[in-house]
Amino acid sequence: MALIQVRNLVKKFDGRDVLKGVSIDLYKGQAKVLMGTSGCGKSTLLRCLNLLVQPTSGQVIFKGEDITLPGVDVRKVRGEIGFVFQHFALYRHLTVEENVTLGLRKIKKIKSREASEKASYELNRVGMFEHRNKYPAQLSGGQKQRAAIVRALAMDPDVLFLDEPTSALDPQMSREVVTVINRLFLDNITMFCVTHDAFLAKYISDSIVFMDDGVIVAEDIAERLFYESADPRIKQFFMSVADHR
Amino acid sequence: MDPFINDLIVYWPQLLAGLERTLILMVIVSLTGLAGGVCVFYLTLVKSSILHKWTEAYISFFIGTPLLVHLFLMYYGLPQLGIRLSALTVAVIGFTLNVSAYNARYLATAYNGLDKEELEAARAQGFKHSETFRLIILPQVMRLSVPSLTNQVIQNLKDTSVAFLIQYHDLFAQIQEIASSNFHFFKAYMTAALVYLALVSIVVLAARRFERFISLPGFETH
Ligand SMILES: Nc1ncnc2c1ncn2[C@@H]1O[C@H](COP(=O)(O)OP(=O)(O)O)[C@@H](O)[C@H]1O
Ligand SMILES: [Mg+2]
Repeated sequence: MALIQVRNLVKKFDGRDVLKGVSIDLYKGQAKVLMGTSGCGKSTLLRCLNLLVQPTSGQVIFKGEDITLPGVDVRKVRGEIGFVFQHFALYRHLTVEENVTLGLRKIKKIKSREASEKASYELNRVGMFEHRNKYPAQLSGGQKQRAAIVRALAMDPDVLFLDEPTSALDPQMSREVVTVINRLFLDNITMFCVTHDAFLAKYISDSIVFMDDGVIVAEDIAERLFYESADPRIKQFFMSVADHR
Repeated sequence: MDPFINDLIVYWPQLLAGLERTLILMVIVSLTGLAGGVCVFYLTLVKSSILHKWTEAYISFFIGTPLLVHLFLMYYGLPQLGIRLSALTVAVIGFTLNVSAYNARYLATAYNGLDKEELEAARAQGFKHSETFRLIILPQVMRLSVPSLTNQVIQNLKDTSVAFLIQYHDLFAQIQEIASSNFHFFKAYMTAALVYLALVSIVVLAARRFERFISLPGFETH
């Protein structure tokens, strides 16, 4: 059974349909990339899946439980889903290490010592150990995003969501972050990643889901979707993305 | 010796007692006003729209009306309803209500400048609203509002001088008394001004040190 099964998910904002019946499966160990034009509802879909946004109708079955039903422990669900944001969203008053340990200590109730050992280990894996005592304001964009990825991963989530993790970065820093995400991909970390970056999409995905105006239009492996799709929306999207590079 | 200086020496114990009451009032209301400000600020973030409106109304009311009116209302008005409070009690309550409103406004202003994606990140990690407030929002808005909050402490110190109008025998009340017994008004009020200036200077220095102490990269306030 899939780790996350989305069935006919609808989200309306002020009466306007943003998601118009989305169905999608994400299996354990699978990495999916979600692509689509700006404003088509990608972020909204991700936010519905960890209930940062309450879906209007439809089902989100996470580990066998429909989490859209009342009475679900929303915070427990969120604790099991890592989230990486476009603009890093590091806690600015905390050092890199404290950013990583805060959730471990306060949510997972892990002792400070162990939490900081875990943080050090994970930071070291992405080359951020030497920056562990710096504040976000002292880091480059690429370093911030690597720290944010570690903050999410350190919680040992069942799945990692990434919402345009490289969009705010210049190409050089973007590459740093792609390298890190690619390693997660090779480690079979379950991922669901929104991106406009065809380069990132190709190197970190088992398959790519293409969304347009609140509906899923296609799902396929990168090569077929990029080069062989006959759908004009998909062709046009990849032409416009290619223009940016 | 100048007879005024002589009077200062004679009245010294009384002046010291006044100084002590001034400092007591300032310290108490600075602390209660900070605590109150944090509570009121917390309420401004609550989703319930009714509570939200009441909180806004509270802030607007106390910022929009003179402190002296509240003090008089409680000290001279309440006894007519059979409620009699000491001058210190009235001063502490009146100042606290007033200072809390100002501090809440400063904190709310700083909150508007926060990166809301950080708060969403906290929510996504599984933090409760109260934890996000305590662990993320408060440490940031407090740092960002340090200049306003410490200014408020200075304001409190100066404002304590109006408490003599409700028979609180603070420093200014004592000096007032000396002046009305020896008629050296100019010298008396100059003395008062210099003492307040000295006290304010001490607070300013302490505030600067405190600002440096809690300042972090990305949170420099000057
Ligand atoms: N909280 C919200 N309230 C109202 N409209 C929203 C809200 N969040 C997103 N939207 C709208 O939903 C649409 C999809 O937004 P989003 O999911 O962010 O798109 P994408 O991430 O694909 O660029 C947009 O038109 C956006 O304006
Ligand atoms: Mg988006």
